[in-house]
Amino acid sequence: MNNAALVAKGITKYFHDPVTMQVLKGIDMQVSKGEFVSIVGKSGCGKSTLLYVLSTMDTDYEGTLEINGIRTTGLSQNQLARIRNESIGFVFQFHYLLPDFTCLKNVMIPALRLGKLSYKEAEETAYAKLKMFGVEEQALKKAGKLSGGQQQRVAIARALVNDPAIIMGDEPTGNLDSKNTGIVFDLFRQLSQEYKQTIITVTHDNDFAQRSDRIIEMADGEIVRHTGA
Amino acid sequence: MKINVNTEIALTYLSSRKKQTVVAALGVMFGISMFIFMQSLMKGTNDYFEKMSFTNTPHIRLYNENKVADNHMLRAFLPDPSEKILTNPKQLKESQGLTDPYGIITLIRRNREVKNVTPQVTGNVIYTSGSVELPGNVAGVQIEEENEMFDVQGNMVSGNLHDLDRVHNSILIGKGIADKLSLHVGDNITVRSGNGNALVMRVVGIFSTTVKAVDETKSYANISVVQSLMGKDRSYVTEIKVNVNDYNNAPAVAREIEAITGYKAEDWIKANEQLKAGFKIRAVILNSVIGVILLVAGFGIYNILNMTIYEKIKEIAILKAQGFAGRAVTSIFLQQAIMIGVMGGVVGITFGFLLTLMVSRIYIGAGMLKYLPMSFYVPHYVEALCFGILTTIAAGYFPARKAAKVDPVNIIRG
Repeated sequence: MNNAALVAKGITKYFHDPVTMQVLKGIDMQVSKGEFVSIVGKSGCGKSTLLYVLSTMDTDYEGTLEINGIRTTGLSQNQLARIRNESIGFVFQFHYLLPDFTCLKNVMIPALRLGKLSYKEAEETAYAKLKMFGVEEQALKKAGKLSGGQQQRVAIARALVNDPAIIMGDEPTGNLDSKNTGIVFDLFRQLSQEYKQTIITVTHDNDFAQRSDRIIEMADGEIVRHTGA
Repeated sequence: MKINVNTEIALTYLSSRKKQTVVAALGVMFGISMFIFMQSLMKGTNDYFEKMSFTNTPHIRLYNENKVADNHMLRAFLPDPSEKILTNPKQLKESQGLTDPYGIITLIRRNREVKNVTPQVTGNVIYTSGSVELPGNVAGVQIEEENEMFDVQGNMVSGNLHDLDRVHNSILIGKGIADKLSLHVGDNITVRSGNGNALVMRVVGIFSTTVKAVDETKSYANISVVQSLMGKDRSYVTEIKVNVNDYNNAPAVAREIEAITGYKAEDWIKANEQLKAGFKIRAVILNSVIGVILLVAGFGIYNILNMTIYEKIKEIAILKAQGFAGRAVTSIFLQQAIMIGVMGGVVGITFGFLLTLMVSRIYIGAGMLKYLPMSFYVPHYVEALCFGILTTIAAGYFPARKAAKVDPVNIIRG
């Protein structure tokens, strides 16, 4: 099991509002290091809910979750925050940059929080990440002043700044045109192949899903099919 | 310079919302400057009244208290409590004077706290000039010592108080007496004591204390003159007045003096209960006003931080998703509150000082009071800053804790 980046066993989750409803029905899954996994399914099938459970942000579930061999189920919020900071990078459908900060600062903040790099090193790393996505020229602009595509690329750069073992995306290309989607996909591909970073994304984009290593298809809170593993 | 990432975020939030930051800081500033201003005014006024009260009250007054006859002497002969003793409680016909006053003065002078000691003979008299009679009292004093303790010179309107020692049978009279009897420096006045002795005295000075009741009754004469006017000998002293180095120690010194002399020693606090009551009432008024001001400033900060948190709730969620623990989020918002507090505090202290300075220049001109009495007392400024910052911390704590509890999943998923 040493090769597993993430192991989930019997993940079960209920929504209680407005009526109690089971959204996840005992999901077992395992993702290897360096694997590029897409989770697909119809709206309401529970794929996003699953992703938030896997991300450790949602702790209201039954079952167990292991990330990089560490059992995260039952850890305190502060411990989970530390794990997220260090080993998980997030990309959301909406960029969620902090509009009052420059792009560079936005990317630097998780690195500064982690505290492994000096201010100067964090700045350099952040700049290198921006460069990877071709937005280095926007580095000193306020994040609120960028175009949607640029913002999303800065947001991805931010997810990568701490070199997380796992990158999770909730429709990361949902707001991007096909050109930008292509750029993002190629980068994900490169990260998983060259840097052995694990990528788990939830997507509606079939093209995007088809080109990943494995497709996990969900329906009604259950995994119905693994494709391409 | 290495600053913590939380601090950096707090600073950015503050500087990107300058208007709100300034408004919040102004609230604190106003609270703190009012705190300083009111404290300075109150302390200034209290100090002034204390000082005023010492212009005619000594720190400690030693006198022979009238006692009512009781049966304690008879009990020495009839120790059996079953035997009833009937007494007729009456004022003892005893000398008003102190026994061995100069011995007592020597004893009192040994106390290191004591600064001045002076004997005084007070007598009720009737002033007569022509056909007009006026009741009053004459204080037989050693004028040099009296002047040192009560600044008699400062109240002199005309004449020279030192003439009291130079001119035989001389007297200093209050301005009210001088006006009513139409007397000037150099005129003669007849002073008659209760036992019928009369003495024609020369007015060598007129004083005015701004207290009408004093100016219309009081006069000073040399102690030996009053002793002879009263028909008493040179050892007759009705009270001994004592000033100590620090008047706040007066009660303790008074107790010591009482213990060694056996006479009643009344300190200025007991003699001026109403003054102290006034201080207390003013303190209550002041503290409630300041409390309300700081409370309002605190609510201002609370409100602004709460609004910030609602506005930034997505950003908070994303910070938490990126691994900011609840503690870090609390720290970001608490630091904003503290920064507002410190900014408002520093400006408030400056403004409070300027306000105090300005008001201290306002001319009042009532009685002896020329300008509003304001005190510039450093601990007030320190207190104000501490209270201000404590208020902002208290006001910032609740919104900050709320921010820490933001659930990123709920916010990000909408």
